[in-house]
Amino acid sequence: MDFIIQNILNALQWGSFYALIALGYTLVYGVLRLINFAHGDIFMVGAYISFFVAGFLLGPTIGLSPAIAFAVTVPLTMALTSLVGVTLERVAYRPLRRKGAHRLYVVITALMCGLILEYSNLAVLGASRLKFPALLEKQIWHLGGVTLTNLKVLVIVTAILVFVFLQWVVTKTRIGMAMRGISYDKFAIPLMGIPIDTIIVFTFVLGSGFAGLAGLLFAMSYPVLEPFMGMLIGWKAFIAAVVGGIGDIKGAFVGGFLLGFIEVGVVTVFPSTYRDLFAFTILLLILWVKPTGLFGMPQSTKI
Amino acid sequence: MLLSIENLEVKYGNIQALHGISFHVNEGEIVTLIGANGAGKTTSLYSICRLPPPEAPRVIAGDIKFHGESILKTRPSDIVKQFNMALVPEGRHIFGNLTVMENLEIATYSREKGTNFDEEYQRIFDLFPRLHERRKQRSESLSGGEQQMLAVGRALMTGCNFLLLDEPSMGLAPLLKYELFRTLKKLNEEGMTILLVEQNANLALHLAHRGYVLDTGEIAAEGTSEELLGNPDVKKAYLGG
Repeated sequence: MDFIIQNILNALQWGSFYALIALGYTLVYGVLRLINFAHGDIFMVGAYISFFVAGFLLGPTIGLSPAIAFAVTVPLTMALTSLVGVTLERVAYRPLRRKGAHRLYVVITALMCGLILEYSNLAVLGASRLKFPALLEKQIWHLGGVTLTNLKVLVIVTAILVFVFLQWVVTKTRIGMAMRGISYDKFAIPLMGIPIDTIIVFTFVLGSGFAGLAGLLFAMSYPVLEPFMGMLIGWKAFIAAVVGGIGDIKGAFVGGFLLGFIEVGVVTVFPSTYRDLFAFTILLLILWVKPTGLFGMPQSTKI
Repeated sequence: MLLSIENLEVKYGNIQALHGISFHVNEGEIVTLIGANGAGKTTSLYSICRLPPPEAPRVIAGDIKFHGESILKTRPSDIVKQFNMALVPEGRHIFGNLTVMENLEIATYSREKGTNFDEEYQRIFDLFPRLHERRKQRSESLSGGEQQMLAVGRALMTGCNFLLLDEPSMGLAPLLKYELFRTLKKLNEEGMTILLVEQNANLALHLAHRGYVLDTGEIAAEGTSEELLGNPDVKKAYLGG
């Protein structure tokens, strides 16, 4: 029994990471009909940003205590990562959009941007791995045979809070409604007095900000950073978003947690090398049965 | 003069759609643009609303003035806010994945945050009681007529006092057409200025005070509705004899 609970907790933790990244794919897709393939690398950039921010705050010049440093690192990392995401939109995607480029070219541009982020990191910081400083004092709780760390709880709670927050944004705020409306009819958005670019920037702020948050939490949980750390997890989160039904926030979270459970489930039975093979195969089967993803609506409109 | 179009020449790519047309709309008027398909009616509206690329027609000469001030440099989304002008586009373009109520709410985007719009929502529901019944439904589940009502209601929620409508009667059953036009008349009596683009010239001229006949990007005739309804050329070409 303890064994099962322990694994459920692990699955929830991994699911939280996937979900936090998947929502960025889903938000951008919902608004722009663009798969932002650089998003996994935005997560990586977020982890690095948090590394430098935390290092700076803990370092001799500032010398904050870890708890305060953590409290400051969270918003700072999110803000700076958002800035990277928005810059990418400005520099790479918007000019193409202005020229009316075919979606394929924008997707290729996104792939290139991801690679540029990876290799500029490699070029500037080198291939050596970075060790993330200890921000939160690790607390381990033993409940029966189940081991629980404060970090694990933090990750899971964060994912749930982010989900609640985003649901609130898209259903209750005007800008959130505009985000949903734009996916259905882009033409009518300016007629409502809504600048399309503002909605797009806001979308990138949300997506990148939460990818930055995921990067920070991931770096705290697995404190080794390297330039390609966003690649596989980015792909997985993307697939989770597709399986959940890309464009749907609920789908991103369900897809993320589903992937977490599948992965942990596979590892409890099979050798860990089977993990990704099984996970991807199961996701493929889900798409085979329901090509629009679990929460995806069949596209009835002309976008 | 609320809106004046002065010698407007417009191109789509390399194709010239408008060849120096001029017309104007006074405050409180209903003005209609009539003409066949491809005459440049929609192009005129899109030019006024500065719709973003790739829909945007390119103005190559002439001017569009609002209260005497050129609006050619205004961003499309600012047209609504600065000039209280709202377009009900052809094909309605409602947000089908949002509820009726959300469609109305989204239109208040550029207006003061935290304002209580309840009275205005009520006004829309008084005009179109069917929308009230369906306010919690996804709007794509509405019938064509109800979608048109929603498109008009949504435009009103932007807080406009100048309504531009592109082929609002298209695809509506006759009874719904008359109902819609009665509503437009009522709005006008309450002070709304209206620029109406219509293929149904008869219906449009019976509603409007004045009209312009567009033919392949040029103004072919203009005058009060009575004049146009009595004009033999207009009769022959647009009113079925």
